[in-house]
Amino acid sequence: MNSFVRLLRAEWTKFRSVRRWVITAVAAAVVSAVASTAFATLSSTDANDYPNYIDQFHFVHQSMAGDGSVVARVASLSAGNDGARAGLMVKQQAVSGSPYAAVYVAPAHGVRLESNFGAATSGGAGGAPTWLRLTRTGSAIAADESADGTVWTRVGVVPMDRLPTTVEIGLFVSSPTESVMEQQFGSTHRESTPTLATATFDHVALTPRSTADWRSDDIVMAPVQSEPTQPGSMTESDGTVTVAGSGDITYVVIGDDDVVLTALDGLLLGLVMVVVLAVLTISSELRRGLIRTTFTASPRRGRALLAKAVVVAAVSFVVGLVGALASYGLARPQLARNGFAAPNYPVLSLTDPTMLRVVVGAGLLLALVGVLGVALGALLRRGAAAITLMLLVFLLPTVFDTALPLDVARWIGRSTPVAGLAILQTRSLWNTATTPWAGLGVLAAYATVVLVLAVWRIRRRDA
Amino acid sequence: MRLLRAETVKLGTVATNLWLLLGTAGGMVALGATVTATVHIDQCTSPAECFEDTTRLGLSGVHLGQILVIVLAVLCVSGEHDTGMIRTTFAAAPRRLRVFAAKAAVVTGAALAAGALAVAGSIALARPILRHNGFAHLPAPAEGPSLRAAVGTVLYLGLIAVLSLGLAALVRDTAVAITAAVGLLYLFPIVSQFVDSDLIRTYGPLSAGLAVQATVGLDHARIGPWAGLAVLAGWAATFALAGAARFVLSDP
Repeated sequence: MNSFVRLLRAEWTKFRSVRRWVITAVAAAVVSAVASTAFATLSSTDANDYPNYIDQFHFVHQSMAGDGSVVARVASLSAGNDGARAGLMVKQQAVSGSPYAAVYVAPAHGVRLESNFGAATSGGAGGAPTWLRLTRTGSAIAADESADGTVWTRVGVVPMDRLPTTVEIGLFVSSPTESVMEQQFGSTHRESTPTLATATFDHVALTPRSTADWRSDDIVMAPVQSEPTQPGSMTESDGTVTVAGSGDITYVVIGDDDVVLTALDGLLLGLVMVVVLAVLTISSELRRGLIRTTFTASPRRGRALLAKAVVVAAVSFVVGLVGALASYGLARPQLARNGFAAPNYPVLSLTDPTMLRVVVGAGLLLALVGVLGVALGALLRRGAAAITLMLLVFLLPTVFDTALPLDVARWIGRSTPVAGLAILQTRSLWNTATTPWAGLGVLAAYATVVLVLAVWRIRRRDA
Repeated sequence: MRLLRAETVKLGTVATNLWLLLGTAGGMVALGATVTATVHIDQCTSPAECFEDTTRLGLSGVHLGQILVIVLAVLCVSGEHDTGMIRTTFAAAPRRLRVFAAKAAVVTGAALAAGALAVAGSIALARPILRHNGFAHLPAPAEGPSLRAAVGTVLYLGLIAVLSLGLAALVRDTAVAITAAVGLLYLFPIVSQFVDSDLIRTYGPLSAGLAVQATVGLDHARIGPWAGLAVLAGWAATFALAGAARFVLSDP
């Protein structure tokens, strides 16, 4: 063990006494941060200009002045998809985006009460037929459910401040648009298919009683924010109201950028410099014949190579850590000024567990790249070849990413060394190839295998 | 003329260079075929509405080919600096600008030759693969846009050789020159994935130069095929001039 420490110290001395290498290592961190900041000034988003909700459905409603309630039995809910809903709603106006409270039956969730695109309160298991009741008392909306219409269970009460005297109250049905992202031939597009759910309501009653006609409206959003929906409808016969509706009522996050990844994109330049540095530390020693001196001093060649890999890994770790910290510290505020801010892009502090993982991960990523570089340099013994191969492996997939069919691109992102970059991701998107630690594990496996091969070769062959 | 022959001999007698040229052609054909094999007519909305640029797809091996051309061109200059052979060259041929011109001519010629072979091979292989995958109506290879894409790809590789040679003469170090050349090409497209800037997307040497491969959707292309190649020629000329200046003015 003691001799390995001596080897480490020897390799560290070699590294720090070559001025070029020290400069390259420092430059790698600086270039990462400067590039990240420069790219950040060029990125902007208008995500926060859009409302954070989808509010589209079919609404069968009447105006109601003051306190009162609506009761109905959801007899059946069919077609649509798992996100379909049928139930009762109080809404300030029959306009998309206006405040509301709703109690509904959903195949995926049972009975639920929710208001103003917030979190839902769950009731019973639901399943049609289920009786529902929604009652307004001043600024409080209470929801109840029942299996038979006589014994009622409270689902919850939600406050609705600033609700005007007259509100719209009635039945609603929605069924979310199904979206699939497709990537082919270098372009991505979203394939959206609207779905339509049909629900039958009976025992519909308003208190106080009303003789007005029910109005039947599709609530839709402005075209730029909307998802495609199908027109809904309402028919009534013998006290049974059949309502068909399309759309969704939910909070949404606008924008699908991984802003942490954007803030750290300059790190790719640092990675390229670490590749060069790592390969050259071994290939130049092989080329200049210094390796013979090294092996004379330390006849156990494998350990000498391992010591070199450890030193390069440690240096690269610091480069990655400092590069990521500086990039995030400089680029993230700039991105926030360019629109990447809450609510759609909340700024994570560096003490957030996700950011800790990303920053430490950036260090580990570059450390593994460094090990792979040393190993490949020792294995191929030619700096030019090793550098070219490393750059091909790390840069080509990034470029080809969107040009390949999605399954091929994801396979590359999951199974080749470039998977290691996943440690920097903070969002799971439709084209995400792998999870952070699994990706880093794949890179670690490649680095280990190539290092073992390099040790085997350097022990077997003359220097 | 003697200089040209000397440079040809130097290039031709190093085994690595021959492997690189062979690799350029072989790798390009292989990558082109692999990429082509991943597409199928089923991925189109309908066979009649398939606007896929099959010609460009068949030539996508250029991404591998150009890396090997870079290595070849860089080694041709920095290899001599590394070994000190450059002093012998200058002793034999004191007019350095002519040495540089001869090097450029030979390397570019080699890149063009390998490129022509690779493009011919890529097209020959891509057509049956595409037909097998259901693409029935392929444009004739010797016709209008397809011919332009083919010839343009060969010229593209020639320009990449000039650019890399200039870079190598400028920095005189194999590792740095290769990294800088690859970085210069791929930095722009990578950055444009994160950064929404048309300037970066259009005028980077890689995307501008490869605009010449486009055969469909030309009316909404960011830059015309020949204009794009001209932009790359500008990049190449800049680096060639800078490289030549250092080659001539500063002693090895």
